[in-house]
Amino acid sequence: MIGKELIGRQSESVVLKIEHEEVCRFAETLEIQFDDRVPATFVETLTRADIPGFKMLPGMIHGEQKFTYHRPLLIGDILSYKLCIKDVYERTTKLGKVTFFVIETTGINLTGEQVFTISSTFFAPTKETANE
Amino acid sequence: MNNLMSYQVSDRLPIKVWAPNHLQIRQYSEVSGDFNPIHLDDNYAIRAGLGGVIAHGMLTMAHMAAMLTEWIGQEGNIVMLSVRFEQMVRPGNKITFYGIISERVEKTLVCNLEARNENEEKVISGLAKISINN
Repeated sequence: MIGKELIGRQSESVVLKIEHEEVCRFAETLEIQFDDRVPATFVETLTRADIPGFKMLPGMIHGEQKFTYHRPLLIGDILSYKLCIKDVYERTTKLGKVTFFVIETTGINLTGEQVFTISSTFFAPTKETANE
Repeated sequence: MNNLMSYQVSDRLPIKVWAPNHLQIRQYSEVSGDFNPIHLDDNYAIRAGLGGVIAHGMLTMAHMAAMLTEWIGQEGNIVMLSVRFEQMVRPGNKITFYGIISERVEKTLVCNLEARNENEEKVISGLAKISINN
């Protein structure tokens, strides 16, 4: 009922390029310092591939987020990334029964070296999810 | 001024203050492609039990990352940044980001991070690893 069968489902591999203009726009929007390095959270805005059978619901709350860089991410880099559902679990919280979804995004460069791993945890009341 | 090599356990990072507003939240939706109505539509957010629109967690996290990059300058890189969103951030809040060195292993600094609103409520807790360049 909570979607354990989703664990292991993946998106297709998608190619992305870190464009100077987009990084610049991101920094300008946030009014943060931009020194030609890619802000640590920027790449998350580009990794939006669909995972078959899984849809982010409008009421889902973002609980946790982690970025790990195995090597620096640079402007001009071309990478391929893939999203995968790493875990689905249910907990009883002050909001009642809540379903958590852990989604991992991995990015590799053209020579196959891992550049980043992003882990995102979202949650939604179990009942609401079941009714959608 | 930064000189990351001189930072030791229990040293504090420079504080950063950020005042989220509706315009920034809307602009972040556009730049990130996250148009979840809980960030944009007050009526929707109220019906969802949130009491009004909330900032994207990723917007607040981006400012936490900016606190780190402003501090480290060209002397280092963020190799890991992990956060837990503890409480919602809303337009009109005044968010202050804090950090403290919790561990130092050769050229890696581990920092405990948090952000608090104007009522001293913790809105984000986090952990970062910074590698110091040679």
